[in-house]
Amino acid sequence: MAEEQEPLEILSARHVVEYPYTRSVGAVIGRFLGGLKDKKIEGSLTPSGRVLVPPSEYDPESGASISDFVEVGEAGVVTTWCWVAEPLAKHPFDRPFAWALIRLDGADTALLHAVDAGDSSRMATGMRVKVRWRQQRSGAIGDIECFEAENLGSQDGEIV
Amino acid sequence: MSKRCAIIGVGQTHHAAVRKDLSISGVVREAALRALEDAGMDWRDIEAVVVGKAPDIIEGVMMPELFLAEALGCVGKPMFRVHTAGSVGGSTALVAAHLVQAGIHKRVLTVAFEKQSESDTTWAITPNIPFQPPLVAGAGGYFAPIIRSYIERSKAPADIGIRVAVKDRKNALRNPYAHLHLEDVSMEMVENSPMLWDPIRYLECCPSSDGACAMVLSDEKGGDAAPKPPAWVHASAMRSEPTMFPGRNQINPRAGRECAAALYKQAGIDDPRKDFDVAEIYIPFSWYEPMWMENLGFAEENQGWKMTEEGATAFDGDMPVNCSGGVLSSNPIGA
Repeated sequence: MAEEQEPLEILSARHVVEYPYTRSVGAVIGRFLGGLKDKKIEGSLTPSGRVLVPPSEYDPESGASISDFVEVGEAGVVTTWCWVAEPLAKHPFDRPFAWALIRLDGADTALLHAVDAGDSSRMATGMRVKVRWRQQRSGAIGDIECFEAENLGSQDGEIV
Repeated sequence: MSKRCAIIGVGQTHHAAVRKDLSISGVVREAALRALEDAGMDWRDIEAVVVGKAPDIIEGVMMPELFLAEALGCVGKPMFRVHTAGSVGGSTALVAAHLVQAGIHKRVLTVAFEKQSESDTTWAITPNIPFQPPLVAGAGGYFAPIIRSYIERSKAPADIGIRVAVKDRKNALRNPYAHLHLEDVSMEMVENSPMLWDPIRYLECCPSSDGACAMVLSDEKGGDAAPKPPAWVHASAMRSEPTMFPGRNQINPRAGRECAAALYKQAGIDDPRKDFDVAEIYIPFSWYEPMWMENLGFAEENQGWKMTEEGATAFDGDMPVNCSGGVLSSNPIGA
């Protein structure tokens, strides 16, 4: 009768890969991001007359190159939203907030960003929100710190 | 019997170390637009697009074909991605041609690209995965021992690689699209460049480029009606073999020999050196010219280096190889 053998140890080993990337954003996205630095939000104008914010380098309908830009408003409408009750470390706030799609005035498409509403009861589809600009801007989407309800008062945050 | 396939438009970018002026989509589109313009077409004329590029890790874009759909006017149309590492430019065109030859599509855009500046390719193929043989710091580390074996086996003079490097860089001076334009390239310059992976010197390596190449392929009717004289696809072949197994002939791989033989048979080529006017071949390190001359049947085994030495593969030789400057002068890997 054969002796019972020790079970074979199956080897495994850890291999950690760190790998750097660079991005060239191109002329269209570059202009959009550069505009944010100057508190300007620009969309791309497609041949069929639609204004895309954030812009696209090429028209999703026809494939045409996009070279026309339209400045849009700093305020717009929440088209849909999701409440984050327990923010994680990488989220833009350490307090509850909403992720929302926001269609800015003059745009035909919506932009994803955070809304600092304080409480989910203050969020609603169709509500109007406006940009809160970051003080230090670098030409990135984070130059928009977040959106906030348009009917808030100025610095003191009182509802008017 | 497969249908005929015509190449009715070609386009490529100006290749460079960094195309900072363009996004990834912008690079691909520059080549595609030039091919469409050459074919006298616009996006609406294209039925399907086949995209090729090297591993996703290089730019970090998963499923680049979807990422590129609007840049390639392909929204709502069939789009396929091909990936066969360094050979992907050829494989992409092959798949696209098969779509036409099979009668599935009438007009297909094939485009291949790499934007190497968006990351670090040598690093990408360097990781030492546990329990697997390492590539030893980039492609050169993998190829150097194979080249050393070739030199030992064929008794080739040590300067053959240098000659290839000089020849291809001189050819690139005639090509406005080429990445490297080394006006003062010479045997001394290449010989004195740093030894990276013995026997491969710095200037015997391909550069790292941003760029793309595109072609518009058409069925026979479209080929006959094309605004410019079309080129017809006479034959295509592909063969595979495992990268590593005991007894593999790494210097003169069987897959390459059998692939070339099948291709020549289809096209009615009896003597490749006599029957071809010119060849563009993937030569990422200089010594691969003599090695591929043998593998592809242009020379007997161990004799390929003589073609280089005699100048047969030069621009004015009897079998010019890589008149564009080749991969040694422009290397957007996927293209």
